Amino acid sequence: MSESVIAVSDLTRRFGATTALDSVSLSLPRGAVYGLVGANGAGKTTLIKHLLGLLRAEGGSVRVFGLDPVADPVGVLSRIGYLSEENDLPGWMRVDELIRYSRAFHPAWDDDYAEELRQTFALDAAAKIKHLSKGQKARAGLLVALAYRPELLVLDEPSSGLDPIVRRDILGAVIRTIADEGRTVLFSSHLLEEVEQVADHVTMIHKGTIALSAPLKALKAWHRGASLDEIFVAHVGSSAASATDA
Amino acid sequence: MRSPAAAFAWEFRHGHLWGLVGYVVVVGTVKLLIVGPGQPIKLDPPDGIAAAVVAPFSTVFMYLLAVFSFGLRGDLAARQSIYPARLFTLPVTTTALAGWPMLYGTAAMVGLWLVTMLLVQWPWGIGIPLLWPGLLAAVFLAWTQALMWTPYGLPGLRVIITVLWLAALDAVVIAAIHYEASDAMMVAFLAPQAPLAYLAARFAVARARRGEVPDWRDMFARLRHIARLLPRRRHPFFSPARAQLWLEWQQHGRSLPVWVAMVVPVELLVLFVPGNDTPAVIFLVLVCALLTPPFMARFAAAAISRSNPSVRDSYGVSPFLATRPLTTASLIAAKLKMMMWSTLAAWVVVLAAIAIALSMLGAWPLVIARAGEAVDAIGAGRVIVLGLLVFTGLLTATWKQLVQSLCIGLTGREWLIKGSVVLTLSFLVVIGPVIEWIRDNGDVQVALWDTWIWIPALLVAAKMSAAAWVATRLWRSRLLSDRALVTGAACWLVVVLALYGLLVWLVDTPLIPRHLLALIAILAIPLARLSAAPLALAWNRHR
Repeated sequence: MSESVIAVSDLTRRFGATTALDSVSLSLPRGAVYGLVGANGAGKTTLIKHLLGLLRAEGGSVRVFGLDPVADPVGVLSRIGYLSEENDLPGWMRVDELIRYSRAFHPAWDDDYAEELRQTFALDAAAKIKHLSKGQKARAGLLVALAYRPELLVLDEPSSGLDPIVRRDILGAVIRTIADEGRTVLFSSHLLEEVEQVADHVTMIHKGTIALSAPLKALKAWHRGASLDEIFVAHVGSSAASATDA
Repeated sequence: MRSPAAAFAWEFRHGHLWGLVGYVVVVGTVKLLIVGPGQPIKLDPPDGIAAAVVAPFSTVFMYLLAVFSFGLRGDLAARQSIYPARLFTLPVTTTALAGWPMLYGTAAMVGLWLVTMLLVQWPWGIGIPLLWPGLLAAVFLAWTQALMWTPYGLPGLRVIITVLWLAALDAVVIAAIHYEASDAMMVAFLAPQAPLAYLAARFAVARARRGEVPDWRDMFARLRHIARLLPRRRHPFFSPARAQLWLEWQQHGRSLPVWVAMVVPVELLVLFVPGNDTPAVIFLVLVCALLTPPFMARFAAAAISRSNPSVRDSYGVSPFLATRPLTTASLIAAKLKMMMWSTLAAWVVVLAAIAIALSMLGAWPLVIARAGEAVDAIGAGRVIVLGLLVFTGLLTATWKQLVQSLCIGLTGREWLIKGSVVLTLSFLVVIGPVIEWIRDNGDVQVALWDTWIWIPALLVAAKMSAAAWVATRLWRSRLLSDRALVTGAACWLVVVLALYGLLVWLVDTPLIPRHLLALIAILAIPLARLSAAPLALAWNRHR
């Protein structure tokens, strides 16, 4: 097995009386698409925030590319492309300003690729972010997360901002392209069919613990070709499964 | 909730009640323990009492204005109404949507005035008007609500129209006071305005609820077309630090210069009122204009140190900023540089406005004559150094006002930010009576005279202890390199020594001991709070 891009060991996090993550351990090797699935509030975003260094590990350890994201934010974040669920791009920026600003942080920024993505996503360079629709904002966020060809792409609930066409034709294609280039994608979603389409490896998180983590093919084989929905119900119960539809 | 009225009441009470209760407790404690009957501090009516009351009254008044107009969370510059859109879908009439916030706001303002009146009247028994000031506060809020909730055709128009309308209302009231209008006349002027403002507010909410937002931007279509033809900056940034500085400048850098540009010309207009061209008035107005940037910087700082004005958790760092591949120290450095440029821009505005005003007034000979008198008295060298020192001091004071609240604001902890506001207000409430007490008490003055040197000494000890603690934390957290820490400390020391040298040369008198000058130099140059900014941001960025 190749070197782990992400190595999480016994990660525990509490918010007051609520345990958001309970002794989570995870190791993701390079060059695959990892789907992180779970109901709303299961702990997906909390785990991703630890990987980005936005949350400090209270217990256990988090390593991304072998580095601590809190101690070395530049070393980790310069190699990660991140699309936030909150989609908090500065509204006052124009699309071309966002591109100009973002490229300053990444020496490997590919201008041609950025322009190609801008045209594919049909983004007006002079448009202000705050005047874009929710889907267009997500595309703008995806553009600046992709244009420097990051080693690790982290997408936190990317589908929540995209219409079905974008989801199917662009997101799927982008994710596959990155994986085919030997880079790694981690994306969280509560849309199980979407994960089933693109993920090589699925990690199910339930009430702050890892319920299941395995290659999708192996999962299917173990469950005799059942859908991810059915596998999810089998492992975490129908109540959690219905929450993923929310 | 039993009714829409109760739901609206909960909406306003939630998140504000305990802060206001805490504040009233502070004011009440001061009143009972320090300035109450039989207590050591005797305030001279009416000025001494007014000085003690004005700070808490103004603060709560402004706070209520912001809360009941929904100005705390709305985008004041937007064309859309700042009335929260989430409330438009409630199953209540538009009359209720506009009416309940206005009714609760009116009640709060009248309540504020009654409490203030009680504080002033008891125990001093000063006669003050019962009705019209409370009515004025309520009308002020009602018009603010109506103007804030109105959709406008152009961005920024809301602020201009509101400021002009409220200033006009203020001017009429001030003129009425000047001409000693009776209380009945004041009430007759103010009372009809409340229903008028309500009708305007109801109309505004109805339009906003229907999604009617006028768009007058086509008037400037030709200008926009020209702007699009102009070459836009497309060259890449030299470094991530430059890009971050650009972002900070675009977000916050223009606030202070713009605010100063709005206030200083109004101050200088006073000089053009007939009879105001006397030397005393000219110098008083100039002093006010020169003190404006540091004063306004205090307010600009609140916006800058609030790290994330555009997302749900306004005290936290947005994921977009937090995931920039920059060190926390670099993020802070960009803020500090932006504040430096903002300070310089504000001062360019002030100096240009003063120069233009003096030229139009023909007052330059007066200023030059005063400078000549100063040269004759203490020598050209000292006058130049003194002038430079004062100017540098004002520049530094402006920058210092901008940066020193970073260490609180960037923590992103609501309890710390609100706690510091309550502490500051408590200090403002207490400081007036304490000064009054010192002024009236000979024994206290003697004791202070004997030990006053210990006050700056204690302040220096506190500052250096805090700086040592911050330096240790910075070193342990590795937020700054060893070299950066040592260089920063050395630079601070050099500036302090330079200031000390200047003060020794300038204040050549045996009346002021040199160790006092050293203490002043140490206190004048920012250190502890400034150094704590990276720690604060790191605490917020990596929660």
